[in-house]
Amino acid sequence: MPKRHLNDELVTQPPSKRRRDLKSTPPDRLSSLSDELLLQILSFLPISSLNICQRLSRRFHTLAGDPELWKRQYYVQWVRPRARRLANVTRSTLPSKTSAARVDYSPKVSTWLDHGHLTADGKITNWKGQYRLRHNWSTGVCRVSEVKFTESQTPPILAQLCAGVVFTADTVHGLRAWAAKDPAHCFAEISFSDSVETPSINPTALAVSHFVDEREVVVGFDDGQACRYLFNVRTARLQLVSRHTGLADGAITAMALSSAYLMVVSENKNLSLYHFQGSARSSRSAKLQKLTSLSAANMVAPMTLSMRRSGVNIVATIVYSFFHISCGWSLGIQELRFDRTGQQVESRLTSTVESQHGTLSERGRPESRNQRDSVTLEIDVDRIAPDSGEPLIVHLHPPTSISYSHPYLLTSHADNTLTMYLVVSDNQRLFVRGGQRLWGHTSSVSAVQVTNRGKAISVSGRGDEIRIWELEPAVRSLGSRPLLQDESSIKVHPEHPDHDEADLDSAPTGSPGDIPEEHEVPDGWSIIQGCVGFDEERVLLLREKAVGTQLLECYDFT
Amino acid sequence: MSSQITLTSSDGVDISVDRTVAERSILIKNMLEDLGDSGEPIPIPNVNEAVLKKVIEWCEHHKNDPVTATDDDDNRRKTTDIDEWDQKFMQVDQEMLFEIILAANYLDIKALLDVGCKTVANMIKGKSPEEIRKTFNIQNDFTPEEEDQIRRENEWAEE
Repeated sequence: MPKRHLNDELVTQPPSKRRRDLKSTPPDRLSSLSDELLLQILSFLPISSLNICQRLSRRFHTLAGDPELWKRQYYVQWVRPRARRLANVTRSTLPSKTSAARVDYSPKVSTWLDHGHLTADGKITNWKGQYRLRHNWSTGVCRVSEVKFTESQTPPILAQLCAGVVFTADTVHGLRAWAAKDPAHCFAEISFSDSVETPSINPTALAVSHFVDEREVVVGFDDGQACRYLFNVRTARLQLVSRHTGLADGAITAMALSSAYLMVVSENKNLSLYHFQGSARSSRSAKLQKLTSLSAANMVAPMTLSMRRSGVNIVATIVYSFFHISCGWSLGIQELRFDRTGQQVESRLTSTVESQHGTLSERGRPESRNQRDSVTLEIDVDRIAPDSGEPLIVHLHPPTSISYSHPYLLTSHADNTLTMYLVVSDNQRLFVRGGQRLWGHTSSVSAVQVTNRGKAISVSGRGDEIRIWELEPAVRSLGSRPLLQDESSIKVHPEHPDHDEADLDSAPTGSPGDIPEEHEVPDGWSIIQGCVGFDEERVLLLREKAVGTQLLECYDFT
Repeated sequence: MSSQITLTSSDGVDISVDRTVAERSILIKNMLEDLGDSGEPIPIPNVNEAVLKKVIEWCEHHKNDPVTATDDDDNRRKTTDIDEWDQKFMQVDQEMLFEIILAANYLDIKALLDVGCKTVANMIKGKSPEEIRKTFNIQNDFTPEEEDQIRRENEWAEE
């Protein structure tokens, strides 16, 4: 009986026998699992292991690079903590039920979880790439590539970065569009001698604004005229749209552009605001309507212009520095609001003096002057009566640069610090909240740029120290305690391109000796001319050599 | 309603088990709900006796665990820590380990599948590609150039 039973088993069990035979050459049981199960296993692994697994075999390369795996990692690492942190911010500001509390800075949910652009319908997102990008930003790791402009240029070349496209303007080459991805690649160029009647004029200001796949560029010249161009990203075509003479009573020194609105400042410190009439982007015969004009005689450089949409209104803001008797260099903020028809709604003025004194109560400033009719930029010093005590923030020297992207207002200083303010602007009031020194730089800071998401880039005078700031956490601690040094900024550690592959044609790759080194500044390179800008993926700097050669540096975080 | 049901393994062995224990398997639970308990043995055609017994042993031990069907996916994945009993339970050869994973997947026992996947994940963690290949006999089908390129591409996250 037992014997028969055994025989039965042998006959009815061929599969298990076959399996036993295979044992002589050990099978790859892991790879024999379905994709679904392997993904399940991989979902328990940290990203370092995912990267290792991609090196195992072709199948694992695909599976461990699975977008859903990386998307989850991305959310866990970058989106969730931010959402939690921001939830805390609102919770801490909400309990005070005064009317002022409601106008406290409280970012909208949509901007907190700011990854909507990554999950746009029908768009396949490279989540691993996105993760890597965030990872590199957070650690300051990037590759550097440069473009040299060998000709000596007077006035110096102008450059702006706008959503992946770099625009440069200079007398010799005119307006050029470059790929930020590969700064050696010039998309298009258009000479100024074709656009303007007098070819001897020089470009002195450059402003760019961003549409879906178009960039609108306005170049201001030293004779007060300006040209408007359109660059199409898909066709890489750059074309002149319109030319406008007499926009300013002298050289245009600064401009800001927001859809159909253009703000122009002349060397004589006159500020004008224009509106492009007609269907803004396409019509060649666009006329400029002058909306308002201000004399800003007592405005001292540096200053910055900003334009933004706020509901149905266009808000034009001028931030400028001035010397205040009790707290040194301060900022004045003039805000002009226009409705859709270009009618000025109001003009308001505030300054950072009270913030610098730390006397601004949470109730906020009750009266910021409404100056419906006044058109003169002038800070009424007496009005800002310095309250008791010494100011908390004293600047003995004017800021080296100012950047304003609502609500963030940042200044950089020669004393190795930045100062951050938050601008509160609503229907009733305009005032500056908080005021905080940001430490981190170890030498004079020469330029700063901030985005409305609170990411900022600052550069030291020689350009050897670039720091990335995430200011959202700083908002929470605003005024209550100083930020710790390492809390919110990261120093950029550029990797040197392989010297073998240093040609600009070949893609610069990170050196295999993966320890980030200090970026050596070659002797003879002098100061950084400015932070051209930064976008999701890179930072652009304009360097100037003593003899006049300029260099566009691209710090790529992808 | 009988408290004991019978499962028939792929190799034709009948195993008697508490219904509550067997219902850790969503597959069996649904089957019992849909078909009713006729007292007939339930065939489990994809799982042999040895593996089925092992799975039942696990279900037996975890029969009183709260069923957390709507488990937070990310909390679940936050850690690959495995409790002590499960760790001991999973100290089996690779053949059995993968058989358990396949069985847990087939029988739809999420918590057991997680333990299995975590065990494998822990076998991968902290190893070099060569060590992982050796552990699981994975065939490297890259050319040396391809391998080198992928290595360089993925260097960034290895700190």
